[in-house]
Amino acid sequence: MKQQEKLKILLSTLREKERYISFQIISEEPIIYSDLESAILNTFLDFYGEGGFSKLSLWIVKNLYDTEKQIGIIRCNNKSVQQVIAGLGLISRLGDTRITIKILKVSGTIKGLKLR
Amino acid sequence: MSYFDLHVHGHASGGESSLDQLASAAKQLGYRGICIVEYFKGEDQIKKLKTELEKTKQKTGMEIFLGFEARSLKELYLLKERRRRFDILLVRGGDLRLNRAACETAEVDILTHPEFGRIDSGINHVLIKEAAKNNVAIEINFREILVSSKKTRSMILKNISNNIKLAKKYKTPIIACSGALSHWDITDPQCLISFASLLGLELNEAKATVSTVPEKIVKQIKERRSEKWILPGVKVVK
Repeated sequence: MKQQEKLKILLSTLREKERYISFQIISEEPIIYSDLESAILNTFLDFYGEGGFSKLSLWIVKNLYDTEKQIGIIRCNNKSVQQVIAGLGLISRLGDTRITIKILKVSGTIKGLKLR
Repeated sequence: MSYFDLHVHGHASGGESSLDQLASAAKQLGYRGICIVEYFKGEDQIKKLKTELEKTKQKTGMEIFLGFEARSLKELYLLKERRRRFDILLVRGGDLRLNRAACETAEVDILTHPEFGRIDSGINHVLIKEAAKNNVAIEINFREILVSSKKTRSMILKNISNNIKLAKKYKTPIIACSGALSHWDITDPQCLISFASLLGLELNEAKATVSTVPEKIVKQIKERRSEKWILPGVKVVK
């Protein structure tokens, strides 16, 4: 398969400013990543709609999900932090399991989240 | 910053979790205090609840308050007479007459979900002025938003933002609560702040809905407990 050509990285002033939000899931039963991902996407799409969702620049950082502590990281742009946190608060169930989401920290870098 | 959730339902008001579960869940989420809200069932109930709350307070180290929610004018009258025996008086909004009575009563601390089950927001400029005068906080109930969906949820959000607009104009206190029925329903304070900011409040005003406004109510509770307090606005100075 032919490798795609990469674009030159945008100037830092033109790039979108990112924020990383770390959160913890409190639940009785262990949570699988795929369940969490689909719950987040469905909740956000239902609440903000497709147009609103596109403006959040939402991305769930899959490789940083800690299955043991149930801590995950979400990336969004700096203007939509409040919207993303509010959206996370709307997730109260994953399938039949009742959950509570605790917001741990908001930072501009992943390193900043881990320093806590 | 210390956060308070002043609307968490206990067993007698349809709650599903024990006091210990509610207190420890709130503590885990970073709250300093919660208010267990019950429906009034008699004098003995207050004594029993107070002893239970004391036990939980000592176990968890949380500030736990006892609140009663009036569901009718008769209940409001009964609770008004017994105001010194418990901490917080809430009135269940939704009915226009009850909304008005709550806004006009200085003993009331919180008017919960004034838009509950209504097409309109349940509050107009006259009621909000009365609420501001009597220092009655208007509640943003998160559970109402959480359990609804689609058209109903959009109606609720519209009504809440209308109430917020009025409350901001007339400087009426706004309080954000989870309205939890079980310990799983208790929402992270950050989520409540974010939701309040989505509904039309500035970020500092949104933060005040879970910190400063409940703190003022807690301060009032402590004043009311002292022997010098007689009535709202009346206390022995010397």
